[in-house]
Amino acid sequence: MKYSNPLIPEGINTSKQHPLKEFFILTAGVLGLIVTAVLLLGFFADKLAHHIPFEVEQKIASEALLQTSNPSPMQNYLESLTRQIAAVQQLPDKMPITVHYIDSETINAFATLGGHVYMFRGLLEKLPNENALTMVLAHEIAHIKHRHPIRSLGRGIVIGLALSMVSGSIGDMMSNQIISNTETITSLSYSREQERVSDKTALDTLMALYGNVLGAEQLFKVLQESEGTMELPEFLSTHPLSDQRINAIHKFARESFSTDAEQQAKPLPSDFSTWLRITE
Amino acid sequence: MLVTNIEILPDKRIVEHLGLVQGSSVRAKHVGRDIMAGLKNIFGGELKGYTELLQESRAEAMERMIEQAEAVGANAVLNVRFSTSSVAAGAAELFAYGTAVVLE
Amino acid sequence: MIDLIILLMLLAIGYGFGSYAESRHYKSIITRENDLRHIPAITSRFPPQNNSSDATLVSGSVVISVDYFKRFIATLRNLVGGRVTAYESLLDRARREAILRMKNEAAQLNSDIIFNVKLETSSIHKGKGNRIGSVEVIAYGTALKTSK
Repeated sequence: MKYSNPLIPEGINTSKQHPLKEFFILTAGVLGLIVTAVLLLGFFADKLAHHIPFEVEQKIASEALLQTSNPSPMQNYLESLTRQIAAVQQLPDKMPITVHYIDSETINAFATLGGHVYMFRGLLEKLPNENALTMVLAHEIAHIKHRHPIRSLGRGIVIGLALSMVSGSIGDMMSNQIISNTETITSLSYSREQERVSDKTALDTLMALYGNVLGAEQLFKVLQESEGTMELPEFLSTHPLSDQRINAIHKFARESFSTDAEQQAKPLPSDFSTWLRITE
Repeated sequence: MLVTNIEILPDKRIVEHLGLVQGSSVRAKHVGRDIMAGLKNIFGGELKGYTELLQESRAEAMERMIEQAEAVGANAVLNVRFSTSSVAAGAAELFAYGTAVVLE
Repeated sequence: MIDLIILLMLLAIGYGFGSYAESRHYKSIITRENDLRHIPAITSRFPPQNNSSDATLVSGSVVISVDYFKRFIATLRNLVGGRVTAYESLLDRARREAILRMKNEAAQLNSDIIFNVKLETSSIHKGKGNRIGSVEVIAYGTALKTSK
């Protein structure tokens, strides 16, 4: 009986593929899969959420309401503007808008479920004329008209569920991080599209109410100033770049006006600055 | 190529022992199988996805072991043993090893 | 943005040092296998009865750690399935190293052959479940002296 120990050739138990090449193929494949999944799921969730009736939205909203506001001259003024805007945008009767004025220095305004719009003093005190104020209000009401809040919510829930199923099975902190970052960046493009659509509807509203879109551009210049120099690149942001929005306004203005006739903006009511601060 | 886990073959004679040959394969499951496994955790039953995965893995490990045996000029592998271990999150290593011999 | 940069740096370090260590290890393994080629290791259990003596249990073990690059690839593979080639080379190295250390011990006893070789692999991790930190391989067998 002979015992020997011949040389066994290399490479039978290992693969010849270069690790870096495998790394790039895998990363590209996985990112592509995640992006496709998010886009598909988002698309379907969007379409389905559109069919949720507005009454359901109102019920959800009433359970999670932020501070309601008390009657005040500012509140009345905003409500009268809201009525005009709702009429122009032809909102259905079943979609009432409730506007809330919050006396806080936050520079913001937003629309949420159930037809609630919140306007903050910080933004309002920077507005130069009524056209700009109407632009803000019309933009937020446009979000409600196009049912953006409930669509965003639906999308968020569906995508969140799907990705948590995937992450739960992996359980590794780092890959969860990668998956959620990819998902966020893909979803932001939806959000930017919604902002563009609302901008367009708001511009239409301004044209109908005032015959010009002066206030819109001034609004964005104000916003640009308060943003400062640190602006996120567009693909990381929920809104299109302010420059882009201003360009869209110019384009709209060029297409809507055939003459260069002198245009004037409607000034704010004279007591506006006193209405800003609500005294109890 | 004869592959067996007994050591002394009743009707053949071993001419030469050619040493240890091994074959191994590391495979990972994918999320599809994982989600099914998660559901089965609720309903119970055989995890066919995983069973298939490990069977393929074992077949590949055996193939590699036979490849090594052929490379050293053997015509049989005796005393084969298997071993399974988990070496990474969600991946299992299937390992087969035995003695390569020349039979007559 | 910052975590992406940190991730890429860790991957680069893992890949660089990992592949350097791997190629050095393989060179060393091939040299030592050639040096110890006179000691066969076989899995059979029945040594020839009349001309072997001095049976001693010999063993060799090694623990090799996984670098960041390999772990990252394994995580991605978890999503799509398939062969984890990064781990294949890791385990191949660990096994051959363990067998070499066993043969070394046999060589120091002046043995000629090792019978009934068995190999065991296990993973060592921090205990949070999914985080495999390193791989351990043990090889053991009985070393014999054969009189020619």
